[in-house]
Amino acid sequence: MLELPEPDQGVLARRGEIARALGEIVPDGVVADKATLAAFDGDALTAHRQRPLLCVLPETADQVSAVLAYAARENIRIVPRGAGTSLSGGALPLADGILISLTRMTRILEVDLDNRCVVVQPGVPNAAVTRAVEGAGFYYAPDPSSQIACTIGGNVAENAGGIHCLKYGLTTNNLLGAELALMDGTRVRLGGKHAGDGGLDLLGVVTGSEGLLGIVTEAILRILPCPLAQRTLLLAFDSVTDAARTVGAIIADGIIPAALEFMDRQCIAAVEAFCAPGYPPDAEAILIAELDGMEVEATDAARRVAEIARDCNARAVHTCQSEAERARVWSGRKAAFGAMGRIKPDMLCMDGTIPRRALPEALARIAEMSERYGLGCCNVFHAGDGNLHPLIAFDVMKPGELERAEAFGAEILRLCVAVGGVLSGEHGIGVEKKGLMGEMFSDEDLAQQERLKCAFDMQGLLNPGKVFPTLHACVEQGHMLVHGGRLPFPNLPRF
Amino acid sequence: MAAGCLFPTFPGFNLDTVTPADETQVADAVRDAAARGTSFEILSGASMRTFGRPVEADAVLDLAKLSGIVSYEPDELILVVRAATPLADIEAELAEHRQMLAFAPADWGGLLGRDAGRATLAGIVATNACGARRVKAGAVRDHLIGCRFVNGASVAVKTGGRVVKNVTGFDIPKLVCGAHGTLGALTELTFRVVPAPPCARALALQNCPPADGLRALRQAAGLPVEATGLAYLPAWALAAIPIARNAGLGGGVGVALIRVEGTGAAVTDKLTMLRSELTGHDTSVLDDDRTALLFREIDCGGPFDGHGPFDGHDTDIWRLCVPVSDAQAACEASEARAWYADWAGGLLWLGLPATREIADRLRGITARFGGHATLLRANAVARARLDVFEPEPAARAALTCAVKNAFDPARLFNPGRMYQEV
Repeated sequence: MLELPEPDQGVLARRGEIARALGEIVPDGVVADKATLAAFDGDALTAHRQRPLLCVLPETADQVSAVLAYAARENIRIVPRGAGTSLSGGALPLADGILISLTRMTRILEVDLDNRCVVVQPGVPNAAVTRAVEGAGFYYAPDPSSQIACTIGGNVAENAGGIHCLKYGLTTNNLLGAELALMDGTRVRLGGKHAGDGGLDLLGVVTGSEGLLGIVTEAILRILPCPLAQRTLLLAFDSVTDAARTVGAIIADGIIPAALEFMDRQCIAAVEAFCAPGYPPDAEAILIAELDGMEVEATDAARRVAEIARDCNARAVHTCQSEAERARVWSGRKAAFGAMGRIKPDMLCMDGTIPRRALPEALARIAEMSERYGLGCCNVFHAGDGNLHPLIAFDVMKPGELERAEAFGAEILRLCVAVGGVLSGEHGIGVEKKGLMGEMFSDEDLAQQERLKCAFDMQGLLNPGKVFPTLHACVEQGHMLVHGGRLPFPNLPRF
Repeated sequence: MAAGCLFPTFPGFNLDTVTPADETQVADAVRDAAARGTSFEILSGASMRTFGRPVEADAVLDLAKLSGIVSYEPDELILVVRAATPLADIEAELAEHRQMLAFAPADWGGLLGRDAGRATLAGIVATNACGARRVKAGAVRDHLIGCRFVNGASVAVKTGGRVVKNVTGFDIPKLVCGAHGTLGALTELTFRVVPAPPCARALALQNCPPADGLRALRQAAGLPVEATGLAYLPAWALAAIPIARNAGLGGGVGVALIRVEGTGAAVTDKLTMLRSELTGHDTSVLDDDRTALLFREIDCGGPFDGHGPFDGHDTDIWRLCVPVSDAQAACEASEARAWYADWAGGLLWLGLPATREIADRLRGITARFGGHATLLRANAVARARLDVFEPEPAARAALTCAVKNAFDPARLFNPGRMYQEV
C-alpha cells in the first residue's frame, strides 16, 4: 500500500472555508463539488485514485502565488497538476490537499525566432510549441508520447524525454529559463533567454523535481531549426538479442541517430492488429532508426546503420521511401501503448534505464520473469538511451493480479539498478517507485536530497508523499550540523 | 525556507594543506574540520584559484591525489573519473577512441596567470568552464550525469547515475556544476561523452563589421547546419592570436567564424549552404587543424592571454551573457575596446577594469536586456570588493542561501567564494 501523509482532520473540517478563500483568489476557478472533483482524482497511473480536498484552476501567475501563499499560511498541502498524464502518480491528489491545475494557463506568450526560443505558460501542451514555430522552420525537440496532451509544466516537473532525446536531449537540455513560484508564494526567475545563469544552477535541479520544489509559472524553451533530411529505417530481426546487439553496435560506430526504438514480437502483433503500420508480423523484434541532418549526412548514416544491422543478422532492412511511409512506420510506434490496451484491460508501464550493453541480458530476464509471474509483458522502448518501457498486462478485476503485476514491475526495476541503471528514465518516481529508492540510494544519499527539498519548502507542503520512501521533517536542518548523515529525529513521522 | 544566512567568523589558524588520497580520507578531513570549526579552500589543479571572490578559509583541501579513470566504456559513451583527474589526460584518452567531451572544456589556467595544462575535471565542473560548443552541445551541466561528493555533514553522497536518461531523485549533478565548490568536495564524476566528428571546418566571413558579423552568426544559428561554433573576433583579437594571423584572418575590422562538423561530405554541404544563405560577405574556409586551434583560443580567452596589444595579465576580464539579439547593443553599451563574442553573441568577453563604475555599467546592461556579468580576472582586492557574480534579487538570494545550507550549513567549503554568505 502507498504510504501517503495522514490527512489533517482539521483541514478536512475546514473544507468550506478553504473553498471560499480560494474563490476569492480565483473567482470561477474553484472546483468544490465532489462529483466534478472525481475527474481530478488521479493521473495516468490508474491503479491509484484519491479525490482532492479541492481543485483550483488559476489563470495567472499571481493567482498561483496567492494560492500558495494562502496554503503556506494555513498549513495546507498542495499538489500541482498539468494534464494528468503522469505514469508514476506524480499528480496523485491528497485527501486534505489543494490540487492546483495549471490547465487554464495555456498562452504562448512569445515566439522569439531571433533568440530561438518560445516563452509559454505552464499549461501549454507540448505539441503546441512545435505547432507555433514549424511554419518558420523550427521545432521543440522533447517529444514524449503523450505530447498532444501533456503540458510543458508537467514536462519540466518530470524532465520529459521522448523519441528524439537520444540526439537532442531531454527537457532539461532544452529549457532555457523558468519562472518558479515557491511554496510561500514568492516567485523567482531562473535562467532566461541568455545562456546559463549567474549563480547556482537552480533551474537544473528544479527540472525533474516532480513538483516538490516549486510550481513553474512560465517556461522559456529552446527551439531548433528543422533538419533538412530524415531517413527512417525499419530493421527486422529473428532474435531479440540480435536487435539489442545492433543498438550497441550503432552507437559504438560513432552514429547518434535522432531516434532508435525497439519493439518485440508481442508488441508488433498488437500494433499490427490496431493500426497496421506494415511491420513484419513474424519478426521477433524490430528497430526503427531515424537519421537526420543534411541530405548527405542522413543518407550516409542510414546506409551505415543498414550495414551494421545486416552484420548483426538483421533479416530485413527497409528504408522508408516516402514521407507517408515514414509517418506510417512511426504511427505504429506511437500507438503501441494504446494497442496493448486493447489486449488486456490494465497495463503497468515501467520505465527503467540501463546501460546499452545490458539490453540482451535484461530482455532475457524480463521474459523469464513474465513466465514466472504468469503475466504477459511486451517491450517497446527507447533503445538508443537504454530506456526500457516493459508493459505488464493484467486484469485488475482478477484477485491478486494487480499485486502480482506490481511485484513483477518492482523486480524489473531492481534488475535495472543491478545492471548499472536507474529506476526511472523519464516517467519520474512519483508514488509508484518511491519504495524502491533505497535500491539506488543510501539513507545518506536520500537525506541530502531531502535537505534540498527543505531549502525550497521548509513546511513540507508541496507534493508530499512523492519521490521519497519516508517523510521526514525539515527540523531547521539548515542551521544544524548534521553528524554522520543522520537527520535529527530520522524516525519522526512528518505528518 | 531557511531564514538569514550565517557567516561564522573563525579564529586564525595556520593555513595548512590536507591531501586526502581517497573519498574516505576526504570525509575524514571534513569531519576533523567540522569538529574544530575550521573551513577549507578546495583545490584540485589550482589553475582557477583566482576565479571567484577570495576565499576566507583556514586550510586547503587539496584533492589532487584523487586522480585517474575509474571506468571508461567507449561503446557506452560513459566516462567515470576521480574528481581531480587532469583534463589533458582525459582528452588524450578520449582522442584515442575518437571521442570527446562535447561541451569543449575550457582551461583558463593560462588566462588566470597560472600554468595552462593543469586544469582538472573537478575545476572544470566547479566553474562550469565550457567553450564555443555550448551553442549546440550545452554546458558542462548537460554532460555531467552523476557525481559523488562529501557534503558538509562529512558524508560521501552519490547523486545521478551512469545512464543519460534518468529522473531518479533530484538532479544534483547539475547544481554542482558552476557551484564553485561551495556545496561539497567532489570525489568522483560521471560524464557522457560523444563521438568526435571526423571533420570540422570553419567558414570565416572576412572584414566584417561587428553588427554584420553578429547578425550573420544569429542567422547561421537558425540554419539546420548544427553549427558548433559561432564566434566574432574584432581586428585586435585576430592580431592577438598567432593562429588567426597564420590562417590569413585579419587585415580588416573583424571576422565572423562559423564552425560546422560531420563527415567530409556533410561539412562540404553545410559550408555551401552557409555561403548561399549569408550573402554579401568575403568568405574563406579554415582547414580542420586551424579550426581546432582557433576555437581552442576562443574557448580559453586566448585573445586576452598576453599575446597582443592589450597585454593579458594587466587587463581585467568580464564575461557578459545576454540574449543574442541584444549582443551588439550590449557590447556598445559596455564601451569595451577589447572584446570578442562567442555563442553567437550570447557571450561577450570584455577587457574592462574591475571598478565599481564598470560593474554598475555591466549590471545596468543585464538589467536592461536580461543576462549576467561575471568578473573572470582581477586582483584579489577588486574581487573582494565587487560582486564577482551577478547579484541576485532578494528572493533568489534567499533561495541560494537555503540551498547552500542544505549542503554545507557550517560553511566548511570555499566560504565566500560566490557571494559573501555562499
